[in-house]
Parts: sequence; structure tokens; C-alpha cells
Amino acid sequence: MRLVRAAKPVDKERFEDVPGRVKNEAVIVLGQKKLFQRLLPGVMHALIFWGFLVLFPTIVMAMVGAIDRDWAIPWLGSQGWFMAAVDVFVLMVLTGVVAAIWIRKIVRPARFEGSHLGEADFILALIALVVLTLLGWHASRIAAGLNEWPAHASFLSNWVSGAIPSPRVMERVFDWAHVCVILAFLAYLPHSKHLHIATAAINVYFSRTRRRGRLEPLRFDLPDEEIRFGAGTIGDLTWKQMVDSFSCTECGRCQDVCPAYATGKLLSPKLLIMGIRDQVFAEGANLLAGGELNPIAGNGVPEEMIWDCVTCGACVHECPVSIEHVDHIVDLRRDLVMMKSSFPQESEAMLRDVERVGNPWGKPQGDRASWAEKLGVRVLEEGDEPPEVLYWVGCAAAYDERARKAAESTAKLLQMAGVDFAILGEREACTGDPARRMGNEYVFQSYAEQNVATLNEARVTKIVASCPHCLNSLGSEYPDFGGRYEVMHHTQLLAELVRDGRLEPKLGDGEITYHDSCYLARHNDVRDEPRELVASVGKPIEMSRNRERTFCCGAGGAHMWMEERGTPINEERVREAVETGAETLAVACPFCTVMLDDGVRSLGKQLRVVDVSTLLVESMAPESDVSLEPSFAND
Amino acid sequence: MTVLVVVEPDDELSLQAVALARSLGGDLHGVSVGAADVPVDTLHVAEIDGSYAPAAWAAAVVQLVAELSPSAVVAPGSDRGNEVLAHVAARLDLPMAVNVTEVRGDEVTRMRWGGTLLEEARIHSGLKLLTAAPFAFAPAAGPAAATERFAPALTDADTAVRVVETVSTSTGGISLADAKVVVSGGRGVGSSEGFAILEELAALLEGAVGCSRVVTSAGWRPHTDQVGQTGTKVSPDLYIACGISGATQHIAGCKGAKKLLAINDDPEATIFTHADYAVIGNLHEIVPAISAELRKVRGS
Repeated sequence: MRLVRAAKPVDKERFEDVPGRVKNEAVIVLGQKKLFQRLLPGVMHALIFWGFLVLFPTIVMAMVGAIDRDWAIPWLGSQGWFMAAVDVFVLMVLTGVVAAIWIRKIVRPARFEGSHLGEADFILALIALVVLTLLGWHASRIAAGLNEWPAHASFLSNWVSGAIPSPRVMERVFDWAHVCVILAFLAYLPHSKHLHIATAAINVYFSRTRRRGRLEPLRFDLPDEEIRFGAGTIGDLTWKQMVDSFSCTECGRCQDVCPAYATGKLLSPKLLIMGIRDQVFAEGANLLAGGELNPIAGNGVPEEMIWDCVTCGACVHECPVSIEHVDHIVDLRRDLVMMKSSFPQESEAMLRDVERVGNPWGKPQGDRASWAEKLGVRVLEEGDEPPEVLYWVGCAAAYDERARKAAESTAKLLQMAGVDFAILGEREACTGDPARRMGNEYVFQSYAEQNVATLNEARVTKIVASCPHCLNSLGSEYPDFGGRYEVMHHTQLLAELVRDGRLEPKLGDGEITYHDSCYLARHNDVRDEPRELVASVGKPIEMSRNRERTFCCGAGGAHMWMEERGTPINEERVREAVETGAETLAVACPFCTVMLDDGVRSLGKQLRVVDVSTLLVESMAPESDVSLEPSFAND
Repeated sequence: MTVLVVVEPDDELSLQAVALARSLGGDLHGVSVGAADVPVDTLHVAEIDGSYAPAAWAAAVVQLVAELSPSAVVAPGSDRGNEVLAHVAARLDLPMAVNVTEVRGDEVTRMRWGGTLLEEARIHSGLKLLTAAPFAFAPAAGPAAATERFAPALTDADTAVRVVETVSTSTGGISLADAKVVVSGGRGVGSSEGFAILEELAALLEGAVGCSRVVTSAGWRPHTDQVGQTGTKVSPDLYIACGISGATQHIAGCKGAKKLLAINDDPEATIFTHADYAVIGNLHEIVPAISAELRKVRGS
């Protein structure tokens, strides 16, 4: 508690949206929603968790009963139905413990790699002892005739009671044993991963309810000594981050879904959080005493781990106790980039180009709208009337030949549907997303301010973006900088136009598998619209990892501009797409387009990687005058 | 009026700085550490022992400024010139203009953003501190100056930062970043052995071999050979891209090339949109043919 109180404050948003937070408590804590994402372990945990909720009054009874044998909770203690329920839940907990032992000893999933296994066994034994002594206590009370409730209601205790010798003595023995086991459990709790039963509910309450792809902005406007430049030492952690680390149960679900871990990188989100927790406990006394603290990077968490992350958020989505791993990683990066200037050298050019010319490849700003010239797309000049929809193209679609096809297709479709739209042309700049995910918050914030000023001056109200990373910045992050717009992805707008009959795609018979972009499907909840569009032009086939549990293409978190170690993530994803047997891999993100197309080439597969919008335009206008081949514009 | 110019021996950029300093008119004094053969009126040689120490050199310049009261101090647009003059500016608490291409009274024109932008600026100080943009001035020529030696007063702090060792990064051969010709290979090369024909062509052209990201990912070449956004950025006179598709990440590293020759068997490869010369065909036939032709022309 003292550590949490000594930690840095969190964003005020964590105190807002109380209804959403109460709902999370109900669904994630009481309803165990995230645990049920895995069936057997979910049922196992729910049996134990729900069991203990019901058994709680009996613990009170046993504690008072240890001193005053004839005391019982008024009313409830004499209710047959309650005692029947107690027996049901005793059985449930025991089943849960057996299931847990089965999982840990027989199934042995890889996600437990690096977890404290002995600790878990000890806790399971304690849990089993808690309910077994309770059962023995109730059984011996019945055998001794001390039951205030109808004996037949306790079907299990009643059945066991026949086997109890000298019940009056055993009643005392079981009661005291029960109380002692519970006290031992409580004493052990703060030293173990089982602390989560105290902190998980708090952690879930304060986790993000809205704008899940948003990073908390650093406040450079504060007095110098209060500015936080990310997390260098444990003294820089926010209290949510502290509670995150205390809540980790080492279940490894995060590790199991992590694309970096799956492809042999050093990062395991579980080990990262455990590393932070271990350092917090090791240096906690020092922190409270105001002593010297060691850097987290290079001590609790290896630097390499910090750079392996693609910020896809799979770990955050999976975590049953709502730990927000990505915030930890970005805060560690912020410290490395802004305070220590220590980051993968190959990314330096990207950071410099974003800062200097406003796009990550250092291309001239003057060429930003060149793709749109032959299509006659309106470029919004200063002082022009705002269009109904502003099309935010993004650097990738503006400059990269492969990604550009999506912009051409989208523009063409909007023209066909008669939508009043325009682009900003040279006045559009990088949203700052890659710099922010690298940890360079300065550069991000200066672009956020610049772009918000441009958009507000142009009186833009509705934006359609091709790039999920731009979408995330514009919709989830720019509100922090005074930019409030209705932001939608091009697949959302196109699906709306198809529903309204303004676009009429022709259904083909090609098999198409759709790859969900992390920043679209997971961080911004756009999952149905791209599927609607895919289903309107061909036969959809799902990959095994889909929708909010999608697998990253490998480009997120500024990895587009980093070198990769181990198995390439994009090839891993392409193999999964190839397994579906589809001939087309539909995408809705320019970076996914490039990464997956590269993956297809590296593996030498026959699979066409193409944006959903291009599929749509091809179905409607095969003879279209829009050339979707690379343009020879600079000749 | 007096102008002071900071020079180094045997340094072309120093001679260019002398040219700028001379164009300002007046008596031209030079200052160097160790004797230098430069065409100024008087050369002051500071006696500073040991290797390059920026603060100590700056202390010498500041001491001469106090003695001569010049109207301007000019330094070469080299890393050292900029560094020494920055120290001088900090010590005198004066503004400094780097990469200057022209001076008109108080106004200067200077290069910014690697030469993509020319900025006109006014210097608000009696003493102008300028470094000359590299290769913006013809090197000054003329007889060497009379030399005056002096020993600047230095403190321990002035020599706290100094060069202790110089390590060459090049492992022999021509470095990728400096090569006038780069022969670069992509996925189309097919294997690490496939680079032999590229090595051969590069050797004939006295150039270096580069590669795309795919090649380093596949382990055919080391990352130090990679040209691109996350590798080395090159600006040779001629860039020969063999079997490279032309991803944006790669183009970002070779767009500085004066001429780009692309060899690729896919006529729709993006690289052709950036190429000055295009050969559509199999690089495994074309590259050896170029080498053979070069040998024939050179008669060897």
C-alpha cells in the first residue's frame, strides 16, 4: 500500500466512466469473462472463485465458532438451502483444484514457462485443505448433533459424517484446522502471486474502458521536477503500473498469444511484468526511503525485451486481471529514447525523417498528393469550405507503391458513391504514431498539435482514414490535444455505402481470408465491417486467429522500421493464411499489406495480398480506368 | 577591420573557410594548432600539446579575439570547425551561423536541412561567428603567411575532453557510404553465393556491394551491407539495383544516387519507377555480361 501511495499519479481518465468500470467488475471479475477465453482453465478458475464467494460466510462462522462452539451466523446459519449450497460449492472448488492439478501436472501448457510452479502447487494444496477441513467440520458437527440446520440438506457432509470417530473432539480439531489453514493462507498471500485476489479487482476497475489504443500522454507543461519522462526506475511507475505488477498471477496467457514470443524473441509479456514486480519488491524500501534506484531497463527487464514488442495488445486483451503491458513497454521506451538516447540504431533514420520532413521515409512533402492527381481528387486548400468527409490518407498510402493502391481504390469508390470528400495534400503530416510507439513523445506531441491545428482550422468534423494507426491516433489520441472528430476507417465508410446501396459490389466465387489489423480489430473494435465487404465480393474463410484475437503482421510499435531477430512474424502469419486454402489474403492496413506481401514472397507462396477496398473496386469496375498497377509517375 | 579564420593543416575545407574570410575584407589573421600552410596575412600558431581538445582550441581562439578584436571569426564547415566555433560562441555568449554560403553585411545565407533549404538570416552581434558551408567556396590560394607563435592560457577543464584514440571503422575495401558506385542485390540474387557476380562487377567499377533488407534477413549478407531506411543511406554516382523489387524501405536508402540502373526480370517491379536506366532480364546473365564488356573495353 505504501508503495502504491508513493507511486506517480495516473491519467484522470481512469477515474471517469464509472458505469463502464462497474460493468468491467461485473463481467471480468464476477463473470470471469477473460478467463473463459480458455475453456478448461476458465472453468477451473471459476469453480474455485465462485466457490469461495459462497463459502465466505462459513469462514466467518468457523472463526467465531473456534472460540464459541455454539455460535452460528443468525438466520443464514440455520438455512438448509445455504448449507446445501455450501456442499455444492465445496465440490466445485475440489473439482477446480483437481482440474488445476490436471492442467499443471498432465497438460503442462508452455505458457507456464518461467512461472513459479512450486508456489502454485503450495497454494492449490492450501485451497484443497481449506475446503476439506470445512467439509470435515460440518460433517463432525452433524455427527455430534451440533448442526443448527437440517442435516439432510448437507448431502455431502451428512454422508461423510458417518465416518467421523469421536465427533465432539473432531469438530474442534477440524474447526481449528480450518481456521489455521485460512490464517496461513492469508499470511502467505502478500509474498506470493496469489496477491492477485486482493489486487485484481482494483486493477480491473482502473483499467481502460474506452479508447483502448490510446497511450497516456506525458505532461510537458508541468513544472520541471514533476515531468515524467517514461519509466526509468521503479520510482517513475504510476500506481496503476505498480498494481499491474502486483496482480500478475503468472498464468502466461499473455506469453501464449505474444507474436514476439511465438517467433523466438526474448520478450515474454509475463516475464516483463514479473521482472518489474521483482524489482519493485527488491527496491521498494529504498523507494520509500528516498534512496538510489537502479534503472529498470537492463536490470528487471532486459533492453532487448523492451524493443521486441509490436504493441499489438494481444497480451492486454488476454490478461484476466487487466494488466496493461503495452503502457509499461512504451514508458520504458520513452525513458530509453528521451533520457538515455538508447534505442535500435536502425530506427534513427525513421525518427529523424518523421521529425524533419513529416513522414517516416524522408520523402518530399510535395509528393504527398501525387497519387491523387490523375484521379482528380479535391485537395482542400486553406480557406476552402470543409467537405462532408475528410480522407486522411496517411504516409504509407501516400508514398508506398503497394499501399497506395488502397488509397486509389478508396478514392475511386468514394467518387463512384458520390461522397463529398477531399484530402489535405501537403498539409497532412505523419500523425506521429511511429515516433510515439518508439517512445519519442516529444515528436508525437508536436505533430499532434500541428495536425489538430490544421484540422480545426479547416473545420473538419468527419474523417475517414485508410491506416488503422492513423485512425487510432486521430480518434483515440488526438482528443487529448484538442482534436475531436468523428473518425472512421475506410472499411466502415465503404460498408455503410454498400448497405445504403450507393455501392453495389458483385459477388465472386474466390475464397478470401481476412487478416485483422491489431490497431483496427483489437484497439479500435472494427471487425464486422471489413468482413461485410469481404462477404460481398467473395467467399470468406477465417484464419484460426481472428477478430480481437488476431495475430500481428509484425509492423506495429514502429517495427516497420526495425530489424527483426528470430523467425519473422509476417511469415508466421502468412503460413496461417496459406493453411486456409484461400487464394486471396484481404487486409485493411497499409503496413499489414507490405509486411504480409513480403512474407508471401519470402515463403514463395501463391497468395494475393490486397486491401479490401481494392477487392471492392475490382468487383464493381473490372474495366476501371484506374490503373492498379504501379504507376510510372516520375518519368 | 580584422577577420580571424580558424584553420587546420592540409585541410581543403580550411582553405574554403579562408576564401570566405578573405571575401569579408580587411586584415586576415589565421589561427591554428600546429604549423599550417595557408594564405592569410598573419598566422597565429597556438602551442597546445597533445591531441585534439575542442575546449582548448576554443580557448586559444577566444584569447586571440580579445587581442585582435576582429569583426568576424570564420571556421571551416567541418565537424571540428563547427565544434570549436560552437565552444567559442558559448564562451563569448554570442550567436553563431553555420554552413554559410554568402555574407552581405549583417545578413548571411546559410544551408539547412542538408542543403534542401537556403535560409537568409541576420546576425545581431558585433562579432560575427561563421562557419563556411563545405564546397560553397573555391579554396583560397596564395603564399604562406608569416607565423607568430603563442601559448594560450589553459585550465585543466579545457583539456578534460580530448581525442584519446582514433579507430577506423572500415574493414578494408571501399565503404558503402562513400562508394561512387554501389552494386546492390535483392531477393533475385537467390543466395549468398549469387553475390559473387555482383562482387566482381563492383571490383571492376571500384565500387562497393550493397543489398536489400530481404537479403540480410535471409542471412546472405551482413547487416552492414544493407542499403535502406534501416540500413545505410547511400548517395553514389551510380546505383546498380540487381533483383531488387524497390520497396519504399529500400528506396529511402538509395534515393540519393545520381543515377539508378535497375536490373530485374519482373517488368512491373516498382524499382523501375525510380530507375534512370532499366534492364528487364535475368541478372544472372546480365551482370556477368556487363563485367565481360567492361573487361573487353579495358582490354584486359
